[in-house]
Amino acid sequence: MKKQQKSKTILTVVLSIISVIYVLPVVAVVLNSFKLNTYVKTHTFAIPTGEMWAGFSNFIKGMTFGNYPFVKSASYSLLITVVSTALILLFTSMAAWFIARVDDIVSRAVYYLCVFSMVVPFQMVMFTLSKTADNLHLNTPWTIPVVYLGFGAGLAIFMFVGFVKSIPLEIEEAAAIDGAGPVKTFFQVVLPMMKPTMISVGILEIMWVWNDYLLPYLVLDRTKYMTIPIHIQFLKGSYGTVDLGATMALILLSIIPVIIFYLLCQKHIIKGVAAGAVKG
Amino acid sequence: MNFKKVFASLLTAAMLVGCGSTGGSTGSTDGAGTGTTGSSDAAGHVYFLNFKPELDETLQELATKYTEQTGVEVKVVTAASGSYNETLTAEMDKSAAPTLFVIGNQAGVKEWGDYALDLKGTPIEQELSTDAYNLYDESGKLVSIGYCYECYGIIVNPDLLEKAGHSLDEIKNFETLKTVVEDIHSRAAELGFDAFSSSDMDDSSSWRFTGHLANLEYYYEERDAGGWTECPAELTGKYMENYKNLYNLIINNSLTDPKELATGGHDAENEFKTGKAAFFVNGSWEYAAVSETVPNARMIPYYCGVEGEEKAGLNCGTENCWAVNAKASEADQKATIDFMVWLVSDSMAAGKMVEQLGVLPYKNAPESANGFLADAAKYTDDGCYVMDWATNYQPNVDEYRKALVSALNQYNADQSDANWANVETAFVQGWATQYKAVNE
Amino acid sequence: MSKNKLKIKKKNASNLKAQIRNYWWLFLLPVVAAFIIGFVWPFFQGIYLSFCKFKTTSDATLIGFSNYSRALADQSFVHSFWYSALFAITSLVFINIPAFAVAYVLTQDIKGSNIFRTVFFMPNLIGGIVLGYIWSMIFDGILSHYNTSILLNSTYGFWGLIILICWQQIGYMMIIYIAGLQAIPTDMLEAAEIDGANKWQSLFKVIIPNVMPSITICMFLSITNGFKLFDQNLALTGGQPFIMNPDGSTVKTTEMLALNIYNTFYTSNAASRGTAQAKAVIFFILVATLGLVQLKFTREKEVQQ
Repeated sequence: MKKQQKSKTILTVVLSIISVIYVLPVVAVVLNSFKLNTYVKTHTFAIPTGEMWAGFSNFIKGMTFGNYPFVKSASYSLLITVVSTALILLFTSMAAWFIARVDDIVSRAVYYLCVFSMVVPFQMVMFTLSKTADNLHLNTPWTIPVVYLGFGAGLAIFMFVGFVKSIPLEIEEAAAIDGAGPVKTFFQVVLPMMKPTMISVGILEIMWVWNDYLLPYLVLDRTKYMTIPIHIQFLKGSYGTVDLGATMALILLSIIPVIIFYLLCQKHIIKGVAAGAVKG
Repeated sequence: MNFKKVFASLLTAAMLVGCGSTGGSTGSTDGAGTGTTGSSDAAGHVYFLNFKPELDETLQELATKYTEQTGVEVKVVTAASGSYNETLTAEMDKSAAPTLFVIGNQAGVKEWGDYALDLKGTPIEQELSTDAYNLYDESGKLVSIGYCYECYGIIVNPDLLEKAGHSLDEIKNFETLKTVVEDIHSRAAELGFDAFSSSDMDDSSSWRFTGHLANLEYYYEERDAGGWTECPAELTGKYMENYKNLYNLIINNSLTDPKELATGGHDAENEFKTGKAAFFVNGSWEYAAVSETVPNARMIPYYCGVEGEEKAGLNCGTENCWAVNAKASEADQKATIDFMVWLVSDSMAAGKMVEQLGVLPYKNAPESANGFLADAAKYTDDGCYVMDWATNYQPNVDEYRKALVSALNQYNADQSDANWANVETAFVQGWATQYKAVNE
Repeated sequence: MSKNKLKIKKKNASNLKAQIRNYWWLFLLPVVAAFIIGFVWPFFQGIYLSFCKFKTTSDATLIGFSNYSRALADQSFVHSFWYSALFAITSLVFINIPAFAVAYVLTQDIKGSNIFRTVFFMPNLIGGIVLGYIWSMIFDGILSHYNTSILLNSTYGFWGLIILICWQQIGYMMIIYIAGLQAIPTDMLEAAEIDGANKWQSLFKVIIPNVMPSITICMFLSITNGFKLFDQNLALTGGQPFIMNPDGSTVKTTEMLALNIYNTFYTSNAASRGTAQAKAVIFFILVATLGLVQLKFTREKEVQQ
């Protein structure tokens, strides 16, 4: 018993060391976001003191770089992520219920097409999708969620259908006998039961849309809109010189909300990821 | 239920943002936007895909002013350095494609000429003061017209030269340039400044070497061939040694160890402006920025050890040529041409353009106060030959330059003969390969 | 259950079914419409365009299979395929072994396992572009002291990307393994202990066979993720360094499939746009095959249990 206790302590120590190494890259981002540009390359791992200290100048510069304020990109990212996720959750859960319960040729065809779409890489459709989205004016932050609903429907439908099939029919039938129509049955009976799957799917979609680079880059109207990943990619190679300090400041700003979100909903995120992976 | 709360607050935040930006930032564009959907056929709008990041700020400002004055919506998008072709490809496929874009060379004429309006007889053509910078296709269609005239070479801070006990007059050819540069570099610690500013190889700076500096090789080949009228299928590489001479001088006598150039992060312009370096490889568009702190800055030719180079002048030409989208609606085309005319003739707008770009080849554009272009003119007056922009012929330019950057990176890290042989391959054989890819 | 009751039940069920079906326009139509816009139409148009020559989608002309033969003859494409394959397999090993080990340790009821889990999973939430720039700064900071850079040496480029992907994905796979490990019935482990099995024996005889489904999933996920990698590749090396062939063509040593397709599409000349779409179709067939094999595997495993 004692021996086991000892080996567990050793494991804790080892894991602690690995954990510290694991967070170092994020620490490096924090350090360099307060460092003058010229020192980022030469003193990457040094603590910014004395002449290296840049204060908040990197943040100020980063936020106002070019003529596109970072706040605007961040707002669009948030808007697109939230609206797309809400849209996906609502419509795919409805469709999944329909598919699982009606179970005729059409709904089966839709289901298998959705499963099929999960294995299609984005490069396959990137050129044609951006053209189609442009033709239909789905190139604004307010309309691009439709594209996300279409391209992201696969996984969500797959997970929801799996869940609906596992709930016994009796509950819905009871509601039907009580005189509730399908709409009422779905929103009052089925939807509340779906909550755990909703959270899992929601987490997966949020993570995907928030971090997505290529789809919004190709689809959004470049004359007006950027998201955070596009903004950061644009810093490299535009406007004459690359300011590493300012880039790191923006990177820090873009990962802070993600980390806060993670710490708040950790349990759900981890459950959601596990569910998504096991089913997908 | 943490998750619920977070999600709810996120949703509210997003809605607020959504509403806020509809009311606020997009207020202007939206107002104009709804206006255009109603009246776009009547008034037309302008979408300019710009390829010069340095010009972005000025253009955005001018676009806003133009909209204020005339009510015509003008959008300007600037492609990141090295990604103009990529952006153009993506944007031309859209329904709201650029109405105004850049076709800067014969390769561009070949690729996008079909999409360009014949500018012959348009009001903007009548504004031109010279035909020298226009591009025509095989059928004689006027595909694009030059909107500015630039020069590049080596920018020098004469005050620093004097501090080091030299003078600009000493530099007459590669030998004398080398002597001055190497002397300054060897005494850099004592002088407090170095010879050349950093020559970063990241996308924001590599074009100075894969585009501009490379021109000396192309130019002398072109001169031997009696001038190029179209892209040659291959190069001889006869002047590679000269390219190497100057390139070596630049990277080995600079503030930054050549081994550290690959990922960039140095600010060459700033190094020159703050007096940390006496030489800076760049062009006339830098004059506005550089002259703020180095009012005496001058520009000298690429001296590289070619015979008779004492008579060399600066690299003059342009790849800034406007093309109007032939597939845009007539109203948009008209609006676009009106905007172009305004840019080169309105005293305020043209003044700003001249300040940023140098010379505008238009009748009603103000005179340029650009010191580097004055240097170029002086060389010409003194009977020196102008090195024209043979660089404009680079086939499949982005791919060609990317390969050259990679080869130069390896050479910077280890200046061996084998690595230089790679640079030569990228430079000479790469040309032939890319030519084939385009002309297949 | 009497026959009558069963009949009623069946009737109810079909009633419900019929009722729901009447609402197809509400339940099914929105998703189907978006799905057609966001997937079906672009997918089939993409297949069509792979047989065409085009500058923009509106000026396509059919030319048959020559795009495919050109894609397969393209050295850079073939290189990027093998490079992606090598990367996928290497990352499979370097992600899954540590992920499993950490998951195993964390299910041993040690102190602070929640904190460790939090830390290891955290990088997974950071997007690919941002990850690329974070690591590019770190590698630069280290390698510049040795007068080199990740852009100069394809070996560094390869292992750099492996380190990045491990940092990102070990935590993800760990979560899946933990779920698998926790699903093992405890009496099974106790039985093994009573039979006198030591730790290693129970690991190989009881635990690993029981988490086989998780292992299969993780292996396929690593492989497909490896093949599909784009953002990280673009932001970390973008394909550099290049090897110059004597004939002037280049091999972008660290360019993976997705990036190769993207570059052929957007940065090459217009003539190769059809070739790019053909490459995309080949890429799709490859990834889809992997995905469908995975589905089949996991389904079979589920049936067996």
